[in-house]
Amino acid sequence: MIASSHSADEKVHEIARLTNEVKEMRSAFVDGRSRLMRLKMESAVVAKMKEKGLAPSVIPPQKIKVKSKD
Amino acid sequence: MAVSEKNILNRLYFIAGCMFIFGIAVMVKLANIQFVQGDEYRAKASERIVKDFVIPANRGNVYSVNGNLLATSIPKYDIRFDALTPTSSIFEENLKTLCDSLAKFPGRKTSSQYQRLIRKARANKNRYLLLAKNLGYLEYMRMRTFPMLKLSPFKGGLIVEQKTKREHPMGGIAQRTIGYERIDEEGNVTRPGLDGAFGVKYLRGTDGKHAKQQIGKNQWKPIVDYNKIEPKDGLDVYTTIDVNIQDIAHHALLKQLEYYEAEHGCVVVMEVETGEIRAISNLGRTEKGTYYERLNYAVGESHEPGSTFKVMALMAALEDKVVDTATIVDTKKGVKTFYRRKIYDSHHGGYGEISVAKALEVSSNIGLATIIDENYADNPERFLKYIDKWSLNKTLNLPIIGEGKPVIPKPGDKLWSKNALPSMAYGYNLRLTPLQTLTFYNAIANNGVMVKPRFLKSVREFEDVVEAFDKEVIKSKICSDKTLGEIQEILKNVVERGTGKRLYSPHFSMAGKTGTAQTEYWMEDWKENKRYVSSFAGYFPVENPKYSCIVVIHKPSTQKGYYGADVSGPVFKSIAQKIFTDTPLIDEIESLEVQHASVKKQFESYYNTAQTYRTIMPNVVGLPAMDAIALLENMGLKVSFKGSGVVKKQSVAKGQKVKKNQNVVLEIS
Repeated sequence: MIASSHSADEKVHEIARLTNEVKEMRSAFVDGRSRLMRLKMESAVVAKMKEKGLAPSVIPPQKIKVKSKD
Repeated sequence: MAVSEKNILNRLYFIAGCMFIFGIAVMVKLANIQFVQGDEYRAKASERIVKDFVIPANRGNVYSVNGNLLATSIPKYDIRFDALTPTSSIFEENLKTLCDSLAKFPGRKTSSQYQRLIRKARANKNRYLLLAKNLGYLEYMRMRTFPMLKLSPFKGGLIVEQKTKREHPMGGIAQRTIGYERIDEEGNVTRPGLDGAFGVKYLRGTDGKHAKQQIGKNQWKPIVDYNKIEPKDGLDVYTTIDVNIQDIAHHALLKQLEYYEAEHGCVVVMEVETGEIRAISNLGRTEKGTYYERLNYAVGESHEPGSTFKVMALMAALEDKVVDTATIVDTKKGVKTFYRRKIYDSHHGGYGEISVAKALEVSSNIGLATIIDENYADNPERFLKYIDKWSLNKTLNLPIIGEGKPVIPKPGDKLWSKNALPSMAYGYNLRLTPLQTLTFYNAIANNGVMVKPRFLKSVREFEDVVEAFDKEVIKSKICSDKTLGEIQEILKNVVERGTGKRLYSPHFSMAGKTGTAQTEYWMEDWKENKRYVSSFAGYFPVENPKYSCIVVIHKPSTQKGYYGADVSGPVFKSIAQKIFTDTPLIDEIESLEVQHASVKKQFESYYNTAQTYRTIMPNVVGLPAMDAIALLENMGLKVSFKGSGVVKKQSVAKGQKVKKNQNVVLEIS
């Protein structure tokens, strides 16, 4: 009786710790995600590439598509 | 007195009786506590160790159309410091290094300032000194590595408080449209944008409840609770915003606003067929001259549209068949008096007699005012009937709170006068929101089908779609195909040769209408300090339009320019350009195995030569250099050559015997 109550208490502590960990992981994920999003935005890439003398093309890429035979 | 046996017995009885009564009293009291007052005491006891806890529901996320996070809830940390916890040896040992670290991050003060602050807190017995607020997870982890703070809380005195905050991973971009829901201490709620509008219905979820028993300091254990309520997490909202287009729109608008030092501006991009808003940006100027998402101007601000409204006016006249595109209208020499008020054209000297179509291309105020006044002065209701038919006098009924109301005067209104009608013809004396104007232009692009602008794609719970939103048609046909075709042609010509010709690009097609409206002209200082609203509304590409777009910029610096084509047009163009360059041109071919007679013949002759000549020099004159070299080197010869193209001369004549590694010189040109 006492032992099982103790093990239940222990689980509560464990859960509290894990919940916190989940929150921290989530927070780290969003942090990383938002930094990635800002980095990969076209305006950021354009600014970065300007240093290397590159600029976005004014003409779209050309695709050649072979129609399948069936 | 003799002590008799009876005497002793009597005393004994007396004492026994007393004890018996005492015993009865104890029993009575016990029973009273146990059974009569028992419930009350038991409740009191459990109150101290059992408590109902609210289990907060997680608020749903807001996503873009391509699945990027636009708004989410994440924990943020406040770092505080208990200045009394560390022993003096730990305190003295670590204070300087801690303050050096603090000076680097968060870095609000210098190291010595931090030292003074913390020493003061220790002297004042401050057990709750704020060091940093609203830290993200990574920043929080960084602070935990600082000297003293990295010790256990009972030694180092670190206090961490965690709270949940709404975060926009995109930063300032589209912040106002994505929005938030904020409840202040008095319980007042402000909820701009989508997060606010759909907060109650979808995002918020419902909080749960569960009883818990205390098992230690600040540690509570859930116990069996038959009244338990499970929290229901909020649903995720998928918007129609496209992050890439939004990014371009935001930065293009920002660039123009900064260059023209304008007061505020907005841009909206809408998908023609569905009415889905792909980008919406609203930027307002601060006192320092920087810009941020201040108010949702595109949705909330109704203003005099100016020349972009000429399209509606002319469309009404064309549809009503009072004019056709070839009708000649006299725009005089740039000035014409209507009911004792002069109307001017921006082109000095005027356009003279021009066709109706040309009047719209060059955006002649006089032209449009004349057309409408001549045909509708006697019966303005006939003109207003079209405005009503196109729902321009009604709000769009958007979910976002604070939609601006359009103002269209009628005869009999306070705003109505003889001059009201000709003014309306070129976009004054009435008010529309940018989104309303866009909805109308979108209908022109969408072959007459007017669809309602939409911000929501679907509401989901994890991957399951709870509610999906389809396009809503306001009007299935705004006008006849003939009128529509004429208007589309004129809008195309505006960019090709009219007021928007500076935007013309040979690579891709656009159609639209510029607008330069005076604003606050009723104020006395207007003459010295002229203020304009520059706009551009249109769609692209011309054939089979994909997106419609409106750009409105308020009060650009007139020294730098104020015409719609100069101020707002470039924003429109860069969005069109971007979408054009992002869509690959696709050439389809039937098969890769193309048989060309000449190629086949050449290959056969090459093959034959290669098969026949092993030790005898072949004739390579007339062959392409690439073939000749391959041929000769395969025979084991050493080839040297000059130039590129076709072989002109060979150093070893045809038919001569050759040996391995013999040198051959080719002349190529």
